[in-house]
Amino acid sequence: MIEINHVDKWYGPSFQALKDCTTSVTKGEVVVVCGPSGSGKSTLIKCVNALEPIQGGEIILDGIKVNDPKTDLPKLRSRVGMVFQHFELFPHLRIIDNLCLAQEKVLGRKHEEALAKGKKLLDRVGLTEHATKFPAQLSGGQQQRVAIARALAMDPIAMLFDEPTSALDPEMISEVLDVMVDLARDGMTMMVVTHEMGFANKVADRVIFMDRGEIVEDAKKTDFFGKPRSDRAQKFLSKILQH
Amino acid sequence: MGTGTYLDLLLAGLVVTVEVSLLAWIIALVTGSVVGVMRTLPSRTASAIGFAYVEFFRNMPLLVQLFLWFFVLPELLPKSAGLWLKQMPNAPFWTAAIGIGLFMSARVAVQLQAGIGSLPRGQKLAATALGLTTVQTYRYVLLPMAFRIILPPLTSEFLNTIKNSAVAITIGLLELTGEARSMQEFSFQVFEAFTAATVLYLLLNFVVVTAMRFLERRVAIPGYISGK
Repeated sequence: MIEINHVDKWYGPSFQALKDCTTSVTKGEVVVVCGPSGSGKSTLIKCVNALEPIQGGEIILDGIKVNDPKTDLPKLRSRVGMVFQHFELFPHLRIIDNLCLAQEKVLGRKHEEALAKGKKLLDRVGLTEHATKFPAQLSGGQQQRVAIARALAMDPIAMLFDEPTSALDPEMISEVLDVMVDLARDGMTMMVVTHEMGFANKVADRVIFMDRGEIVEDAKKTDFFGKPRSDRAQKFLSKILQH
Repeated sequence: MGTGTYLDLLLAGLVVTVEVSLLAWIIALVTGSVVGVMRTLPSRTASAIGFAYVEFFRNMPLLVQLFLWFFVLPELLPKSAGLWLKQMPNAPFWTAAIGIGLFMSARVAVQLQAGIGSLPRGQKLAATALGLTTVQTYRYVLLPMAFRIILPPLTSEFLNTIKNSAVAITIGLLELTGEARSMQEFSFQVFEAFTAATVLYLLLNFVVVTAMRFLERRVAIPGYISGK
C-alpha cells in the first residue's frame, strides 16, 4: 500500500532530515513510528502524502508514484487521511461543516450525501450532539476525534497520524486512542507517529524506530518490545517505558 | 450663487467623498487581497511581484502618486491615449478613486499577509492533506480566518481611505474638503466652513465604525478569541 524506497530529504543544503529511508506498509497493517524528537518521524510521514517534497528515492502509494511531477497530488492526497498533532480543524466552520467541506469541494459529493456521511462518522466517534458547535467549543480530545472523523469522511485507503495525542491533556488521550484502536481493528491501513507505546503494544503490527533521520529499527512488534537490536532503540525504550 | 444653500454645497461634496472613498476602498480591498495572497505563496515569482507592488505604492506620498496619475501619466502615454485621458469626463474623480485605491491596496496587502501569516502552519497542511487545491485552501480555509483576524485594522484602513480622499482636492475634485474651501472663498467664513466639514467627516466615519463593529460581531466565531 505504502512503499518508501531509499528516501532522502534535505532542509536547505546542509541539513539532511531523512537518510536513505526504506520501509513499507501493506494493506491493513498498522505501523507505529517512534523515536526521539528531531529524528525525522514526522517528516517521514508528511512525505507519504507529499506535504513535504523529497530529494531522493521514491514513495509509492497504492501503485502511484508520489514524487512524480505528473501525479495529481490533490487527488492522491484526498485518498489518504491525515491527523495532526494540533487537530487543525477549521475554526470558522461548524463541526459538521468541517466534515463536509472536502467531501463536497474535492470529491464533488452532494451536500445531503456529505451531510449523511458526516453525521454517520460523528456518531462513530461519539460526538453527534456537537455537530453544530464550533471547534473552539470542544475539548482537545473531542477536537481530535472530529479530526479523525473528518479524515475518514473522505473514505481513505490509509490513515496517517502525526503525534495525534501529543497535544492532549492526559485524561483525553484514551478517548482518542480508543477511536484509533477501533479503526485499527476494522482493518484500516495506518501509519502512526506516536510515543504511546501502550497503543503500539495493543494494535501495531510493526514498529519503526528512527534516529537522526535514519530508520534504525524496523521490526515486528513482539521483536521490537522483546529485544530491540540497536543500542539506541534500547536506550529510548528504557527511557520512555520506565515510568 | 442662486442655485442652493451652502449646506447643499457641502452635502454635494459629502456625496462625492462617499462615492470616491467607496470606489477606492473596493479597489484597495480587491487588489490588496490579490497582492497580499501573492506575498504568501511559495512561488518566488509571485512573492517578488507582490513585494515590488507593495514597495512601489507605499513608499511614495499619496499626493505625489495622484499628481503622477493625473499630470504625468497622460504625457507618457501615446498621444491619442493621453488625449483621451485628459478629455475624459470626471477625470479627477476616476483618478482619485483609482489612485487612492492603489495606494491603500498596498496597505491592505500587508495587513492580509500578516493575517494569513498569523494562522497556524498546520491549517494549510490540513487543507492540503484533505486534497484541497491551493485556490480552494485559500478560498475556504485561510482567507475566511485571515480576514476575520484583520477586521479591526481594516476598519482603520477604511477610515484612512475616507480621510485620504481629501487629497483629491489638489487635482480639482470638489469633494467635501473642496466644497468647504469654495464655501469659505464665497463667504469668507473660514471657521464655519471647516467646522461644518469636520462634523460631516466625523459623522461619516462614525457610521463606518459602527457598521464595521456590527460586521465584526456578525462574523465572530463562538468560542474563538473575542467571540462569545
